Parts: sequence; C-alpha cells; structure tokens
Amino acid sequence: MVLTGILHCYILNIMENRFFDNWSTQLRKGMLELCILNAIRGTSLYGYDIVRKLRNIEGLVISEGTIYPILSRLKREGFVQTTIKESTEGPPRKYYELTAAGEKILSQMNGYWQDIKTGTDILKGDEKS
Amino acid sequence: MINLPDNARKHLDNYLQQVRTCLKDCPTVDADEVEQNIKEHIESELQDSSEPVSFAALDDILKRLGSPQQWLPEEISWWRKIILRLRTGPEDWRLAYISFALLVVGFIILPSSIVLIPASFIVARAALSEVADSSELKAQKCLIYPSLIVSCSVIAFILFFGGMVLGACLAEVLWDLTWIREVAYMGTVTFAASITVTITALSWIILGAVFCKWPGLVRSIFKPFADWFNRKHAIILTCVGFALLVLTLAVVGYLRFVVFSKL
Repeated sequence: MVLTGILHCYILNIMENRFFDNWSTQLRKGMLELCILNAIRGTSLYGYDIVRKLRNIEGLVISEGTIYPILSRLKREGFVQTTIKESTEGPPRKYYELTAAGEKILSQMNGYWQDIKTGTDILKGDEKS
Repeated sequence: MINLPDNARKHLDNYLQQVRTCLKDCPTVDADEVEQNIKEHIESELQDSSEPVSFAALDDILKRLGSPQQWLPEEISWWRKIILRLRTGPEDWRLAYISFALLVVGFIILPSSIVLIPASFIVARAALSEVADSSELKAQKCLIYPSLIVSCSVIAFILFFGGMVLGACLAEVLWDLTWIREVAYMGTVTFAASITVTITALSWIILGAVFCKWPGLVRSIFKPFADWFNRKHAIILTCVGFALLVLTLAVVGYLRFVVFSKL
C-alpha cells in the first residue's frame, strides 16, 4: 500500500512537471518575440547585445541561439531592419532596429500583453479575496 | 577570426553545418543571416579569452546557444523534424540511427537481410570507431548493440560451428561412395557423427592456432564483446579441439575395430 502510494505520488509529480514544462515552453515562445522587440525599442542593438539583455530575464532564454532565427523572422516580416556599423572591436556589426511596422505591432503586442496581465492579476486578486 | 585548435574548429564547423541544415529550407528564416549572427555571437563571447581557445570554452558557448533543432519554427511538419534530426544529429548518433534502421528493415524484408544486416554491422562498427571507448556510447548502445549482437552471433556460429555443418555435409557425400562404406564398416549415424565431430575438432584446432598467432583478430571481429580475448583463450580452444579429436578417433577406432568387427 505504501509503495503504491509512493509510486502514485511520483507519477503525479512527473505529470505535473511535464505539464509545467510544456506550458512554460509555449509561453516563452510567444514572450520571446515580444521581449526582443521591446529590447530594441528606441535603440539599435546588434544580435549579441540583444542576447545579453534577454539572458538576464530569469527563465526566458533557455537556449540563447533561439533569438537569432526569431530576429531573422522579424526582419522578413518587416518588423525590424538592419544596418551595418563599423566596430572598434572587430569586423563591422549588424545592428537591429524597429521599423514603423515593428513599432506598430509592438504597441499592439504590449497592449495585448497588458490586458492579459491585468486580467490575470484580477483573477489572482479574486482568488485571494 | 578566433584562433581555434583543430578539435574545436571541427566542433564549430559541425555546429554551423547543423544550423545550415536545420534552417536551409525554412521559408521564414534567412539561414545565412542566422549563421553570421551565431559566428558573431561566438566571437563576442570569446573576445576576452586567451588564445588558442580551448574546446571546453567553445563547447560551453555552443551548449548555451542550444541545439539548432530547437529553433525550428512550429510550422515545420513532424516528419520533416524527424528527417532533420537524422540529418543534423551528431555524427555518431546518425550512424547509430542508420545502423538500427538497416537492421530493422533487414528483419522486416527478409530477402534483403543478406545485404542489410552486414551493412548494419559495418555502420555499427563505424559508430563504435567514433568513440575511443565503448563505454562512451551510453544511450547509443541501444541502437548499435542489436546489430553487433546479431552479426557477432552469426559470425561466431559460422566460425565455431561451421566445421560441424561442413562435417555433416561431407559425411553425406562420403557415405554415397561404396568403397568408403566398405572401409568404414560402421552404421550410418556413427559414420556421420564421427566425420562431423572430427571436422569440428580440426576446425577448432586450426582456429585456435590462427587466433594464437593473431589474438587481435578475435578482439577486432567481435569488438566490443571480446576485448578480454588473448593467446591463453586461443590455446584453450586448440586444446579442446585436440582433445575432441583424440576422443573421437579413440571412440571411432573402438567402434570400428572392436564393436562392429564382432557383429
């Protein structure tokens, strides 16, 4: 009986962890694009600088390389553009900055995220009260 | 460009190749741009490192960058992800997958097993050669060992019991000759058994002698299962063969000249 109970708890724990992993992966995928766009808002950064900025956010960047395909995709979508600038530390670097379309979509995304966050906070507040 | 030792350069080239392969046909991503960004990332990370940069330092950066397979966008179908995993996996894993696939197909489509199972064995051996020690294989063993076990079992059977099959065939051929039957002067079963065991014993003596001269041959053929094999074992095989031959000749002689001659 005790062994069955331990096994049951163990299996439930694995299932909970798997559920959390799947959920956080999905959330991170969406959030990463928003964070990249926010990172370059009002400035121009080169790829490695963006990674450095985002790696400080706990739990957001699991594999740093993920950021580069997203940057490329955002460029193809026309939300970011690149300019080559000379560097004092080596070869010329590619800097990313928001386009007008990027500014617009970012503002929409931030608004949407704010709505969700507010809604979630309200639910959390309701739960407490 | 950063000065990398050969092993680190090879590791980086392999990683960049994976990046290219993963993103090549991805319509929403510019693979060249990503590759360039990755190179810049690595250079920036290693800027303050002393040269030549160590393999461990580079490996640490590549681990933090993560596997390019994780970067694949959602729109790529599952079957394409599997193909990409096979194409971009580390070299040793690719060989392990191929070896296992060849073995499975060989078992499913039986006529093709004559070609596919030896091919699976060769690929498994190639995968084994990729690592310095078979203990480094870890999970790949599950893919490589089935092929090695099947092939080594067949080779072992042919080597150690091939003489038995050959002896049985020879006995059948010889028994058809009238003069042999007259000279042998014994029953069919006794004749067949004596020839079979004699040929088996002779083959073990010859094998033992060959393996005694070149013990590495066994270790090489049955790698990684016979790393323990040495001259002592070859001598034991020769002795067993010799003992079996003597015993057979004694029994045959006794039967031929004592038992059957009285009948």
